Amino acid sequence: MSLWKDFSNGFYTENPIFRISLGMCPFLALSTSVQNALGMGAAVTFVLIWSNVAISTLRNVIPDKIRIPCYIVFIATFVSLVDMVMAAYAPSLHKALGIYIPLIVVNCIILGRAEAFANKNTVTSSFLDGVGMGIGFTLAMALMASIREILGSGTWYGINILGQAYADQPVLMAILPPGAFVLMGFVLAAFAVIDRRKERAA
Amino acid sequence: MAETRTFQVSMSPHFGSPHSTRRVMFDVVIALLPALLGAVWLFGLRGALLPVVVGVAAAVAAEFVCLRLMKRDTSAALDGSAIVTGILLAYNLPPGVPWWLPVLGSAFAIVVGKQVFGGLGSNLVNPALLGRAFLMASFPVLMTAGWSAPFEWRNAAAGFETHGMPASVVSEMPVADAVTGATPLRAWKDSFGMESHDGQAVREGLTDPGTLMNLLTGRRGGCLGETSIILLLLGALYLFVRKVLDWRIPFSYLGSVALFGWILGGPGFFDGSAVFSVLSGGVILGGFFMATDMVTTPVTHAGRLVFGLGAGLLTVVIRRWGGYPEGCSYSILLMNLATPLIDRFTKPRMFGEVRKHA
Repeated sequence: MSLWKDFSNGFYTENPIFRISLGMCPFLALSTSVQNALGMGAAVTFVLIWSNVAISTLRNVIPDKIRIPCYIVFIATFVSLVDMVMAAYAPSLHKALGIYIPLIVVNCIILGRAEAFANKNTVTSSFLDGVGMGIGFTLAMALMASIREILGSGTWYGINILGQAYADQPVLMAILPPGAFVLMGFVLAAFAVIDRRKERAA
Repeated sequence: MAETRTFQVSMSPHFGSPHSTRRVMFDVVIALLPALLGAVWLFGLRGALLPVVVGVAAAVAAEFVCLRLMKRDTSAALDGSAIVTGILLAYNLPPGVPWWLPVLGSAFAIVVGKQVFGGLGSNLVNPALLGRAFLMASFPVLMTAGWSAPFEWRNAAAGFETHGMPASVVSEMPVADAVTGATPLRAWKDSFGMESHDGQAVREGLTDPGTLMNLLTGRRGGCLGETSIILLLLGALYLFVRKVLDWRIPFSYLGSVALFGWILGGPGFFDGSAVFSVLSGGVILGGFFMATDMVTTPVTHAGRLVFGLGAGLLTVVIRRWGGYPEGCSYSILLMNLATPLIDRFTKPRMFGEVRKHA
């Protein structure tokens, strides 16, 4: 039961984006299209899972005083793996994500889970936490990217869904940086409303 | 049983003022009306009246919906501030835009520019200008291309299709008496990209007395509410008489645009035209009606002078070196953001307070 909790924590109750507001940089920058969002979500999830596993395995070996540099070394290793695999097998996605792939090294979600979870929990729990958090991050990315891509380009995953007339003249700001901040505000407000309703019902 | 009486307890100052929100806002609406008549005369009912009407309707509707959702007093939707926002937003659009553009802009202005911050009095920046900035970012083509020339609607009614024709041809036509296709500021900016000799000729043409006269009377391309300068000034005069407008911001803003327009506006130093700088673009509309918004500008007297000075400098800098030909709206938005800072540094000393030695 508690394993299920470790796993499902990241979906909603501790969603890295909407709850603990970590990893904002790739979230705001790459939610311009669903395709980018899913690509980034997959990359982060991969790194998150294996860094969690590696760190929880070695949590009793890593000296406490230099634990952060040690985590970074693990994370950077997995990021390099992702970077090379993506460059080899999905070059167009690799190009679209650009600098944000190497930047996963300093992604707060990954370091945050390493410090807050993996270094004091078992390997199994940490693995499930990584999977759950990764899914939570990917879902959040996909939600935001859906809103932004539909408003800003009239498409979803590259498929035109609002008609050509809209796609010719979309609300461009939705895929520009200011649009990301404004829409983020609205999404967070929506979550706050849902929570308040729940509280009142309980 | 003792009667319980409630006393109104409020912060100082306790003296009253006849200026209620409603009165001020409706004074502003009245002051803006002459320019609307001018815009209809220049750009026709479809070109000028329709955007204003739908803009106002959308602003009031958005305000009502927001207040309703937040369970606040919905009568505030009719206090006039949303109407002013709708009018000002529409005045900042090119004439003849599709009807949904002012609707979207007004809704954004009210929802994101005003209500999310807590409504009138709490907004950081001028809502109408934020709405315009949103439209500029979202629909750059609609917002910057296709300026319909003044009187184009009359030519069309007389059977001449003049849209897209060079201004020189249009001005030969019987009905039109003076027309420019692009806005004067666009022409001014483009002149920097030309051979120095040709650019000089363009700038001389833009600053000759005849052209300046056309700028004054509104016979030029521009946003639908910014071109009727004489009528805007008439409205501003009304606001001065009603003591709604403080002279400091318009004075320092216009002065600053003229000064820096002269110093920095041209290709070299002291090469620009002060008169052209003030009469072109939206300086008159912005200076009297948007930079003077009470909520988003400094409350101190010195602060207001600083505000106008800064906005004027930014306007000229954006015009000369920025990506857009006109910087009026962005300069005011930027200074809106600096307002708390300006207020803080220009806070007057209290009576008897001793100046601190630095």
